[in-house]
Amino acid sequence: MGTGFVIGVLGVLILSHAAYSTIQYRALLKITEEEFSGPPINVVLELIFGLILCVWAALTVPGKFLSILPDSDENRCN
Amino acid sequence: MAGHDDSGASEKKSSEAINDLPTFNAENMQNNMRVIYYSRTFMSIIGGFIAGIWGFTSLMGFIFYFLIMAITSVGLTAKAGFTIHSYFDSWNRIILDGFLGGLMSFVLFWTFSYDIVHIF
Repeated sequence: MGTGFVIGVLGVLILSHAAYSTIQYRALLKITEEEFSGPPINVVLELIFGLILCVWAALTVPGKFLSILPDSDENRCN
Repeated sequence: MAGHDDSGASEKKSSEAINDLPTFNAENMQNNMRVIYYSRTFMSIIGGFIAGIWGFTSLMGFIFYFLIMAITSVGLTAKAGFTIHSYFDSWNRIILDGFLGGLMSFVLFWTFSYDIVHIF
């Protein structure tokens, strides 16, 4: 649980950095008066990498799947 | 109270134990549904955040949402080890549950991050 949480926080930090980079990129475009067609390639890579980390965290942090079959986990202690 | 009466740990749904399809552990089932719900909600929020940063508008954003949900479904299926019958009672649970509930969170964070990055 600790490791997945750290990975999730790291993913969110990377996404925030990508957001900040995009804001700066847009400010640059405003100066040169160009149209925004898409974030630069390094921001796109950052977004994908952050997404992968967050997918990993989303799958590991909430907990494990418990078996619902009646005779697998709990051996009925009679 | 430390007797053999369990604190409702394993409730059987029907009495016949020969065919174990209709009988399952309801508490674990609820736990699994909760795990799916948390995973989908978190991925919807993250997906909305990314969609706003990337600058998606209208249809592309919704296509991105379906892509995120598909990735989450595949991830959940892989987490269940591709043998979902020991964790869920039908495929619909792992594929469709929480699909539309996450859509609202997605749109909320999508507009939120789009406004922060592109407008403000």
